[in-house]
Amino acid sequence: MGDPVQAPPRQPLLERLRDPSEGTLGLLLLAPAFVLLALIVVYPISKLLWNSFFDLRLSGGGGARFIGLENYALVLADRDFWNATKNTLLITLVTVPGALVVGLGLALLANLPFRRRWPVRLALLLPWALPLSFAGLIFAWFFHTEYGVVNDVLSRLGLAPQNDPTMWLLRPHWAMAAICLTIIWKTSSFMALILLAGLQMIPRSLYEAAEVDGASPWQQFWQITVPMLMPSIIVALIFRTITALQTFDIPYTMTKGGPGYSTQTLAMLIHTTTIDYLDVGYGSTLAVCMFVLSLAVTAVYLRHIGRQAQ
Amino acid sequence: MSGSATASASRLAGQGLWSGPGLRLIAAGLVVFNGFFPALWILFTSLKPEAELVRKPITWWPHAPTLHNYVQAFAEQPLLRYLLNSAVVATLATLLSLLVSALAAYAIARLNLRYRQVVLTGIVASSMFPLVTLLVPIFETMRALGLLNTYTALVLPYTVLNLPVCTLVLVSFFQSIPRDLENAAMIDGCTRLGALWHVVVPLAAPGVFTAGILAFVNAWDEFLLALSLNAGAQMRTAPVGIALYQGEFSFPWPIISAALIVAIVPMALLIAFFQERVIGGLTQGGLKG
Repeated sequence: MGDPVQAPPRQPLLERLRDPSEGTLGLLLLAPAFVLLALIVVYPISKLLWNSFFDLRLSGGGGARFIGLENYALVLADRDFWNATKNTLLITLVTVPGALVVGLGLALLANLPFRRRWPVRLALLLPWALPLSFAGLIFAWFFHTEYGVVNDVLSRLGLAPQNDPTMWLLRPHWAMAAICLTIIWKTSSFMALILLAGLQMIPRSLYEAAEVDGASPWQQFWQITVPMLMPSIIVALIFRTITALQTFDIPYTMTKGGPGYSTQTLAMLIHTTTIDYLDVGYGSTLAVCMFVLSLAVTAVYLRHIGRQAQ
Repeated sequence: MSGSATASASRLAGQGLWSGPGLRLIAAGLVVFNGFFPALWILFTSLKPEAELVRKPITWWPHAPTLHNYVQAFAEQPLLRYLLNSAVVATLATLLSLLVSALAAYAIARLNLRYRQVVLTGIVASSMFPLVTLLVPIFETMRALGLLNTYTALVLPYTVLNLPVCTLVLVSFFQSIPRDLENAAMIDGCTRLGALWHVVVPLAAPGVFTAGILAFVNAWDEFLLALSLNAGAQMRTAPVGIALYQGEFSFPWPIISAALIVAIVPMALLIAFFQERVIGGLTQGGLKG
């Protein structure tokens, strides 16, 4: 008010809000996403790093006590941590290639020229849409020692004695195998959907030309299908690896990490430490270590795959 | 005959091993069996009385089908409440993430922003953070704010969880809408926001719908956050509620199977109706394992 310097004539505020410039509009439109990301991703990640330097237990009355790198020293000496890391990496190393192979098989089968496409499509979509925890529950019942369908089929086929059935979820190695099989079943259909889309983009003329040159179906698969599919395979592998490192739902619903700690993953260890024992400081440190691990795996992986793709 | 014509066509597509119609049927059978058998087996289990479930050798087809397990599933646990919780949380999170990501996607797809590639990469990269690492601080914050066991505790994280998928799908939809339509509306006197609302939004409706289904499925399926933040008896979502039956019954499988079928059927119908949209959306931006 009373400012002697005459500002250049400006549109009224309301007018500017109704028809903003590109830059302002961009900021306005992106603002909600930024706020949410700051609130739910950036702030928690910073808080996580911060907490990892404190002795912070929500169960006791005391506040946070700064302890520097002590939590990290504890993690490195923690057998549960190394056990969970080993289990997580094992699950990743088994289920990612497993789901790729099964998913590729499903995609090749689903790509055949069927008259009606919907049953096959729905059969790929259903496992994808099924919650991981439901898949865990369903397969826990499948692998039930006494009344599970898996042992029933095995004994009917004569592959397992009826009076001494495999105790799938009660023996460490068998439990890990059951969990990996379940994860492969659950995730291979997502792989198949991505790969199927890739298969449908391969021009038919390539196969026609190969046919003329007398290439066998086997040669066509390795010389045309696989190379042309590489981009889809890489995308599917990256997302599957990232999710495999976070495995939680299926082991939680099938074995709760047992027997003993033989199927406990990193995500489960962090969950137990934080939610059940309310040890936020140590849980944060575990989470930072897991974050570093998944970054490292993803980076190594991307470089390796990138080199292969060239 | 047409049989040999399709056979040679499929051989041309590099599928020579599976050229006959009979083999094609086997192929379809394999895929369908793989996809449906687990759900089908749970359906059979849910229809068997407990006495039949603990008999050996196990029966495949239910001998004396009964709905008793379904009655039990609703009576022994607030299953209806679990389903309602899931529906409310998933719907709110879906609407919120659609709103937020539609605005962001429009800015990325349409405006002359210098950093739009960086912005898009940033939004997508945020989905690479392991959820469990976010869990610890989110749990601590929600606990401090007294938000544990509320819908808010799940809706906000789920909204963010869905931002990358929704934004990717919507960016590609917005880019497919001709710019001229918008320009024409603006020449006719529409403001930029007016053009957005009257021209772009209606045309983007299919894209919004596709992104919405993906977001809904994602939110409906989430387990770790729901288990950690909303484990209170009345606030569990369906996946958590049903998973926790396990600890509360000595032989929980009849009741779990019935509850699973109740929870799976609506989702299966949704997916069945909108197959093509879901697949289209998945291949554009589906980031779910």
